[in-house]
Amino acid sequence: MAALLRGLRVGRALRGFGSVVVPKTSSPQCNGLRRGFHCAALRLQEDKDKSIPVPPSSAASSTTTYHEHYRSHPFKNNTDTYTQEAPAPEADAKEAPQPNTSYADQSGEQGEEYETEEQLQAHILNAALDFVQLHGWTLEAISAGAETLGLSAASSGMFQNGAGDLVLHFIAQCNAQLTEQMAEQHNQVQLGQAEPKKTAEFLRDAVETRLRMLTPYMDNWPQAMSILLLPHNIPDSLKHLSTLVDDIWYYAGDRSTDLNWYTKRAALTGIYNTTELVMIQDSSEDFQDTWNFLENRIQDIVNMAGAAKQAASTGEAVAQGLLGAAVTLKNLTGINQRR
Amino acid sequence: MAASIRLLARRIVRDAFRTINSSVSVRIVSSSCPSNLSACRCFSDGAADKSTHFGFETVSEGEKAERVYKVFESVAQKYDVMNDAMSLGVHRLWKDMLLHVMNPQPGIRLLDVAGGTGDISFRFLNYVRSQQERVARRTARANQTPSWQEISTSYTTPTEGIEMETEARESRAVVCDINKEMLKVGKQKAESMGVSSGLSWVVGDAEELPFDDDQFDVYTIAFGIRNVTHIDLALQEAVRVLKPGGRFMCLEFSKVTNPLLARLYDAYSFQMIPVLGEVIAGDWKSYQYLVESIRKFPDQETFKQMIEDAGLFSVRYHNLTGGVVALHSGFKL
Repeated sequence: MAALLRGLRVGRALRGFGSVVVPKTSSPQCNGLRRGFHCAALRLQEDKDKSIPVPPSSAASSTTTYHEHYRSHPFKNNTDTYTQEAPAPEADAKEAPQPNTSYADQSGEQGEEYETEEQLQAHILNAALDFVQLHGWTLEAISAGAETLGLSAASSGMFQNGAGDLVLHFIAQCNAQLTEQMAEQHNQVQLGQAEPKKTAEFLRDAVETRLRMLTPYMDNWPQAMSILLLPHNIPDSLKHLSTLVDDIWYYAGDRSTDLNWYTKRAALTGIYNTTELVMIQDSSEDFQDTWNFLENRIQDIVNMAGAAKQAASTGEAVAQGLLGAAVTLKNLTGINQRR
Repeated sequence: MAASIRLLARRIVRDAFRTINSSVSVRIVSSSCPSNLSACRCFSDGAADKSTHFGFETVSEGEKAERVYKVFESVAQKYDVMNDAMSLGVHRLWKDMLLHVMNPQPGIRLLDVAGGTGDISFRFLNYVRSQQERVARRTARANQTPSWQEISTSYTTPTEGIEMETEARESRAVVCDINKEMLKVGKQKAESMGVSSGLSWVVGDAEELPFDDDQFDVYTIAFGIRNVTHIDLALQEAVRVLKPGGRFMCLEFSKVTNPLLARLYDAYSFQMIPVLGEVIAGDWKSYQYLVESIRKFPDQETFKQMIEDAGLFSVRYHNLTGGVVALHSGFKL
């Protein structure tokens, strides 16, 4: 009887203890509050493995992964793949920091947590892209994205710039993807596996690839453009645009160090922006009108470059001709003779 | 055997008191629990030895909770009136700012700790309702001029399930306070305003909340955390009851950064506020405690560090009215 009572007493003591100490009922790898973040990270992993929602933009074969894209024929069919497969490389990087139970390395742990916080924000924004068709480029889309990851909708408060964060993240992602494809193409040319393209063709393909990444979100793209034009977003959006144009010209082979550097980039910026505007109100099949417009604009630039060169050489020829005429005249009048 | 049964009975009684969540009761029971029994977990024996601040006084930790309870019991009836008088109505702007920064989406569950008279919860419900109305108006307007595409798809598909989903997610607010008088005043306000759905009133201690883990999307504590004896315990409880991704928000008086404003603020606090307390509420000492407890609360950076230590991430603060009030926010990630 005494033993029974003792057992009950111990049981109650443990329960009483448990009500004061913060209980952790989730996965056994989580100890302590600092690991809570890793708990969420692990939970995210489990959730992602379990259920990945099909994106509403249901184009054919939309579930190709990021890596498959990377290997696919460059500058072709780069539409509709911002599913959650996209952050696969990020997820691999996040699996690396296993929750360590040692309190010793505080500073290193702090650095790790900061990195994974940004990665978590990137995860949430990637998930939010699926909801852009439904909610537009807004905080509601970010909240919906966070909810698919198992986080509360309140975590959208982390993004102080709200919809601007989502749009900037998206264009940064698109630009990075384009740069990778151009680098891949460049490598192949270096290895001799592919023919180098002419400048005009390269530019056209690059701009077309980049603009095709917008096709799943074309309905809401005007809203995104207007968000990018808000005063507090202008520095960031200009930065992204300028690095995009710079990258395209670099991979097109431009190594100029004079005024041409500026004129080329200005020209391509103009082409890109105008083509984007045409694309917004284009209702033709597969945006064929847009690509025709792009082709014409690039032809214009090429023609203008050619015309400028011709004008320069003509000018030179004219100048030489005049000089020759002046010398002849001097000879005729006898000024040139030595006396 | 009779002795062990008596022990068991005492333990049951103590557990029952604990669920009422008042540290005062623990102290009462501990005095009846003989100290030579090793199984007796008397936490408050330690608390009786440690001291803390109550305004500018030094008191034992157990005593602080009791005295804070008495303060709020006595000011409960005139609490809202005094808030308006002391802050010249600016406290409404501070609370509106809290809601604006929170920007709650429909369907969110709010826990308003030390919510007392329910100011935050009422604002929360209004905000969410007006947002839902705005969304409903927008969809109605969009439906007024549908394109041919939309008309044809609406013929083929059944009614939109997506909108039904968002309507079904009703937001709920739970007001939790240790003080029954404050909750009573809050309930009366709710009844007079006609707000009934989506609001519940719970008695609870911020250091030991009567809720399960991972329950709430947002945890707010407005002008209450400086009255808690162990702030770190309250922060740990906040982390416990928040869902992953949930937000902790704290509105509290803090250090004024501008020295000129600080001088004016000090003069106003110590000269005017207790006088107002005496004139309007008939209670000088409670309001003396209030301004002293503000001075004893850690400043913005220190509190931010405490929040980070509790396990919250992405911790930020905004200074309102030049630092008179600071709004801290952190996420459970």
